[in-house]
This record gives sequence, C-alpha cells and structure tokens, in this order.
Amino acid sequence: MAGLAGASAFAAPGPWEQPAATLTDQIAAILGPGPAHLEIRNLSSIPVDQIPLIRRLLTQDLKAHGISVADSDSANNIHVSLSQDWMDGLWVAEVEEGAETHVTMVRARLLPRSSSGSITPDRVTLRKQVEWSNHDLASSVSLPPTSRGQVLAALKTNAGLAVMNDAEISIYAKSSGAWTLEQRFPFAARNTLPRDPRGILISTPDGNGFTAFTAGEKCNCNYTTQSDSAHTAGGWAVQCHASDDPWPIPNDLTANGVTSLSAFYNGARDYFSGVVAPSPGVDLPPFYSAAVIQRPAGSAALLVGGIDGKVQLVENGAIKTVAGTRDWGSDFAAFQSGCGSGTQIIASASGEAANDSLLAYELPALEAVPLSAPLAIDGTVTAMFSAPDGKSVLAVVRNAANEYEVDRVTALCN
Amino acid sequence: MLRRFAISCFVAALAMPGGARTRPHYGGSLRVEIGGDAWHYPNGLARLMVLDGLTALDADGNVTPALATDWQSDDKDHRWEFHLRPGVAFHDGSPLTSTAVVMSLNLSCTENCPWTAVHAVGSSVVFTGDSPMPNLPALLSQDAFLIALTRTADGQTPANPTGTGPFQFAALNGSVLTLTANDSCWQGRPFLDQIQLIQNRSIRDQWLDLSVDRSDVVEVPPQQIRQAQQQRITVFVSPPVELLAIQVSDSGALSNPMMRAAIAQAVDRGALFNVIFQKQGEITASLLPQSRTGYAFLFPPDRGLNKANELRGGLAPPPLTLAAQADPTMQLVAQRIALNLHEAGFNIQVANIPTAPRADLALVELPIIGANPADALAILLLGAGENAPVTTEDPATLFRAEHDVLDLKTLIPLLDLPRAWAINSGVRDFKLRADGTPDFANVSLEATQ
Repeated sequence: MAGLAGASAFAAPGPWEQPAATLTDQIAAILGPGPAHLEIRNLSSIPVDQIPLIRRLLTQDLKAHGISVADSDSANNIHVSLSQDWMDGLWVAEVEEGAETHVTMVRARLLPRSSSGSITPDRVTLRKQVEWSNHDLASSVSLPPTSRGQVLAALKTNAGLAVMNDAEISIYAKSSGAWTLEQRFPFAARNTLPRDPRGILISTPDGNGFTAFTAGEKCNCNYTTQSDSAHTAGGWAVQCHASDDPWPIPNDLTANGVTSLSAFYNGARDYFSGVVAPSPGVDLPPFYSAAVIQRPAGSAALLVGGIDGKVQLVENGAIKTVAGTRDWGSDFAAFQSGCGSGTQIIASASGEAANDSLLAYELPALEAVPLSAPLAIDGTVTAMFSAPDGKSVLAVVRNAANEYEVDRVTALCN
Repeated sequence: MLRRFAISCFVAALAMPGGARTRPHYGGSLRVEIGGDAWHYPNGLARLMVLDGLTALDADGNVTPALATDWQSDDKDHRWEFHLRPGVAFHDGSPLTSTAVVMSLNLSCTENCPWTAVHAVGSSVVFTGDSPMPNLPALLSQDAFLIALTRTADGQTPANPTGTGPFQFAALNGSVLTLTANDSCWQGRPFLDQIQLIQNRSIRDQWLDLSVDRSDVVEVPPQQIRQAQQQRITVFVSPPVELLAIQVSDSGALSNPMMRAAIAQAVDRGALFNVIFQKQGEITASLLPQSRTGYAFLFPPDRGLNKANELRGGLAPPPLTLAAQADPTMQLVAQRIALNLHEAGFNIQVANIPTAPRADLALVELPIIGANPADALAILLLGAGENAPVTTEDPATLFRAEHDVLDLKTLIPLLDLPRAWAINSGVRDFKLRADGTPDFANVSLEATQ
C-alpha cells in the first residue's frame, strides 16, 4: 500500500500500521472516494506523541482509497476515537455521510509500559536474578492450568529446576538458555490444601534429587540415569505419600557439627506447631519461619518468627526476643554472603505497599542490624528459602498479574 | 465522637496484591454490619459465603472452576457438560452429587432459565438448550444458580440454607446472624473462626459502631464515599459493578416506542450524578462501561428535553407509575426522575417496588460483572429478566447487539455505580470480589503483637 511506504520514514510506526490500514479499509467501504474531514481523539493510554503519527498513517491510507482529508468542514466527517476495552486497544470510527452515521471499529495493540527501579548501595548490596518465571512459559507453550498454580517452592538441582505449586511438581530443563517444562508430577487426589498453602524442597546431599514437603504430603524425588520402576518417567522418579513428618529447617552448618532440626507443620493452617525435633530445650511458640544461624562467636542458634509477629532467638537453652525486627514480614531466610561475620538474614518488609522489598540483616547480639538498602521486588514475596549452597536466597514472587517468578537473591560486599 | 482512623483510602480498581509480607492469622471473629438482609437475593452476603456455584468469577471477572472442575460444550453450545469436583461435601456432611446439583438448580430456576433442561449424568451435570448457551459458564457463577442442599439424608428440607461455601450457618439471634468456618471447605478453611452479620443497621449506626470498634466491616453507599474519606475511614471502593437503569414497560401507554424514546431523552443523568450520588460512579447511556467495551462513548448520555417533547409529539400520556426500592436514596432518585419527566410532559407517580410490581417504569440495579464483555452483557440482561445469549466477542458485533437492546428503549441506563466498604485497622487482606462484595474467606484479623 502506498501509504505504508511513506510511513516507513517516520520513527517506529510499526504498531499502528495494521490497525490504521484495516480501519481505513472499513471507512472506505462506507464512504467511497471524495473529501472528508478527519477528527481524532484519544481515549486510551496511547502516548500523546503518537497521535500525529497515527493521524499521518490514517490520512495517507485514506488517500490511497481516494478519500482526501479536508481541513475545513465537509459533508463527510470521520471521527476516529482511539479507545481501549478490557483487553487491548480499540479504534472506533464514526463516519458521518450526510445525515447518516455509520460505526466501524478495529482492534489495535497498546504499547507496553516501561518500568524502572533503583537500589541504593549500603554495607552490602542485594541483587536479584530471575531464575524462573511462569510468565514466559504461559506465553510460549500451552500449559495445563495446573502448571500455572500457586507456586510454593523451587530448587535448582544438578538435573534441572524443580518447581512445586499447589497441584504438582514440575521439572524444567535448560534449553537454549531458557527453562522448558520437561516433566510434571501432579499430586494424587488428596485433602484440600489450606488457604495460604506452603511447601519446601530440600536437596539431597548429592544435589541430584530432592524431598518435597507440603501440607500432609511428602515426595521423594530422585534423578536416575535409567528408568527402574513403574513410577519413573524419563530420568525422574517421584513418589509421594501422605505424611506428617516434620519439615527440615534449612541448616548449612551441619558440616560444623551442628545438629539438623526439623519442625512439625500444622497441615490445616499455614504455620509450624512449635514442636521441633530434637528439642532445643525450650518450648517454642507456633511460628511461620525458622533458620539455624551461626553466631559471631561461632556457636549456632535457632531463629524463629512467631505467628504473633515476634522474632525470637533460641540459644544455649534460652529463648530471647530479637529487637529491630518490627518491620519484618513472616518470611526470612539465612545465608552466608561472606560480607560480614557469621550468618546474614534476608527478610521481607512488612506492610501493605503494592510491592515488597527485601533487606539484609545481621544479628551481632539480640538486635537485627540492617546491612543493605531495600531491594525492590516487582510483587509480593510469598515464600523464601536458603539456597542449597547457603550463599544465596531463593524468593518466590507473585506479581500484580498473578504470575510467579523465582528470584535468586545474592549480596555484594561494598 | 468519631475516632480518627489511619489515613488511607484504597480503590479496588487499582492493583491490590494480597499482602503476604506477614502471613494471615487463623482465628478470630469478624463483625460485619449491613443495612439489609444477609440472605437477600441477589447477592446477600450470607448467601455468597454459604453457597458456591458450579463456576465462579475471580476478582477480575474471569470465569474460574468452583464446584465444577471443568466443562465442555457440544452441538454449537446447545449442550454443556460440567464435571463435578470430587470429594466436596455440604455443610451437613452429605456429599455433593450431580443429583443434588440438579435438584438445587431446578428449585432455583423455574422459569426463563438459560437452559431448557438439566440432567445428572454420573458425576456430571448436563445442560441442554433449544437455543445456544454460549455464556452458560459465566451465568452459572451468578447468585441465581448457587447450589444449596434441597433434601437432607432423611429426606427433609434443611432448616437453614446449607451449601458448600467457606462459612456455614450457626445461629440467628434477633438480627445477628452467626456463620462459622467450614473446616472441610473444598477451597481450604477460611482464616476466620466466625463472622457475625448484624443486619438491618442504618448507615449512621454502622459508622458509629465502626468508630468505637464495635464493628470491623460496614457498608458505604456510593453517595457517602466522599464523606467517609473526609472522615478518614479506610474505604475500599470497587470499580463500577452496578448499572442503575430504568426498566420501561413496552405495553399499555408505553407500547409506543416514541414515548419510550421520549422518556430516555428527558432523563437528566447529570443531576443524579452531581447531586444525589455526589459525583461517585459514572454517567452512562450504555449497558456496559467504557472500560469494558471501549465503545460506550458511542451512546451519548446528554439530556434532550426538546427532542423528548418532539418525540412525544403532543400526545398526553396517562399517569405512569415509577417503582423504586424503598431505600431513601432510590426513592430520591425516583422523585428526581419523575420531575425530569414532568418537564417533558409526563405525569409520574413514584411507588415502592413491593407495592407496585407491575409499574410502567422501574428503577433497577443490574450487575456489570464478567471480564469478557459478551458474558457481562449476558449476565446484565439476565438480571433484567432477559435470557439473551451473546455469542460474539467481536467488538463491532457486540456494539450492534447492545445498540439493538438499547434501541428498544425498554432499558434506559443512568449511572454505573461502585460498591464500597469501610473496615477497621485490624482487618487484613480485605479484597473485593468481581461483584464488589467482600471476599471474607480470605480475610484475617491482625494479631496483637
């Protein structure tokens, strides 16, 4: 079309060429050749600076149909409204031909919005890297609805990435730099998960497999090079069964002789009952999060975030309240960044802001001291775990569009 | 004296991701006050908490599985099969079966149903229709088709509404209805232990109770949203979810379409918007809002008194009745419309809807829900008593369908109105559903630290 050849001289007219051409085709079918007055109004989120470009495209395309756009009043008027509906852009033309008005319309894509963020460095700088996102998956492949459920936990193994949602465990393999869904292991029919469901994936010592825990269910997931049972699909063998076994509390200090701890999860709620095995020597309140941390003196302690909002430290058979945690949310995870002494904590900020932020803290005594500036997150942190290497934290994030991603959060020493 | 509340006002139309920074707490009792009856049809709060549909609408108005896990249509939408979710039980422990669903639907829909017949086939519910039913999954999410137990195991009619929802009936003491958590709810137990619904409270008393912590959630009528915000009450406002419209009879004196068109021209929407509704909501002459269709501006809402007189053509119609709900705001709206129409040569008497069931004109509130405009239009028309399948998703065809309905002048759109609620500071994760009612199943109460 002659009009489009001219349009190519303008800056990036791409998104508007097709709707302009289609709309002018429809207008021409109504109006026929002759002069017409063209009026454009913008009822959409199209940036104002795009309007002259759209006007030029429409004018040129109309001209190609023999409709010359007149500056002054004409017997024929074309009112084009750049509108938008629930899905996308909608361009509506009201064509006045004498006393008659005809309406025609065409879909037009809206331009994506840009986003930006900034981080102010402090003693350490937190950085995040998206490990996995179901946004790309949803748009690239046809996934069953269960593969887009509420993501509970994720874990990178030697054989791929495991993602557990409220309906299944999915295994992803890296292909051409992107994760592609390789296998799915739906949970068998079982009791309903509680609202605010939770789960955890614990790596096997060799890093090949993992154990998955969720309310009332436990799955052993092993990667083998050969199929060896009826439950094996490809290289993965996943066996799930009803279980109220306690969930391991992440602890990368076992190599230093620190005992592994496990906590009993209340399968009908969203928290741990407070019963920990082996007993730490004191009664614990019900809690949302727990982490074994290394104290600056080299000893180990258990940090628990109670359902009453208090963060407490269990050390030497005593439980003490930690100050400076008023802004912490329910989830935290321990890691060793190498920047300070002992273990650092990453906690999500509490509050009702649209988006979450993460902060790194240190516990030199019984007060949490911020180490970093807040790291802005594009959504809500719904779960956080220490990565198996102990040097980073995995955060599950849900954005406003209800899409999930798994971010790996690391710290840079300043 | 009113206590000062935290300064915040949330607009539900904006993004409100569930704040899981601190996880929701289980337990506690929520006190909710409302002006009407909790079992009122449609959309009484108790109905929506106790009963589920085969389908549901998510917060954005998209159709999602509920008591049915999936569905499929055959024969060009003349037949639909809905597969029931296994393992769901009514509050009395009896299992949800396809037979129970069919009995419920047959009891709730006796005439003008979207389907011709509904049958139980194994664990599925099968709908057949003489006409295509393209919007059936969306329609089944509506209050009219929520599933209630009709017969207990011993063949008796349940003493109280019994469903599968997150809350179940516990007690009714005077105007206080108590609902308790359904521990075996298929969606997971709600966070709250119980909800006390205090019914038939005036707005003034509701707000007073909220200010002295005797209530957690109260209503805010659209015309008082600004006032609530000025009093620094935390208010949640939905996008427009209700169309206020005049339903016009097409018989008797109004069988002449010119007379109906004259009425449509004579209404002064601006006065309703500015004076009565205090500039809340949106003036409209279309059935669906601009944000949903993108073409609502093609229906101009301007008043044309001269045009109205011209359309009436010197005819003097007999006195007409305009019925409205008894609530003071609706009566005020009706009075103002009567005044508008008087200026155009009509003689209008205002009456209450219960006392004037066959009025010439009726003020109605119709639902504007459903993300997909075709479904939204079908739901709206069903609310107006018209079972009209809307098969298209093409905007131009949808525009023509809406244009054809409006051209009859039996529905005159006036305003798109939001719903609003005020909460106290201890209420967590308060969100509104697609119909503007609160999603109490996911609400929790702040723990005292």
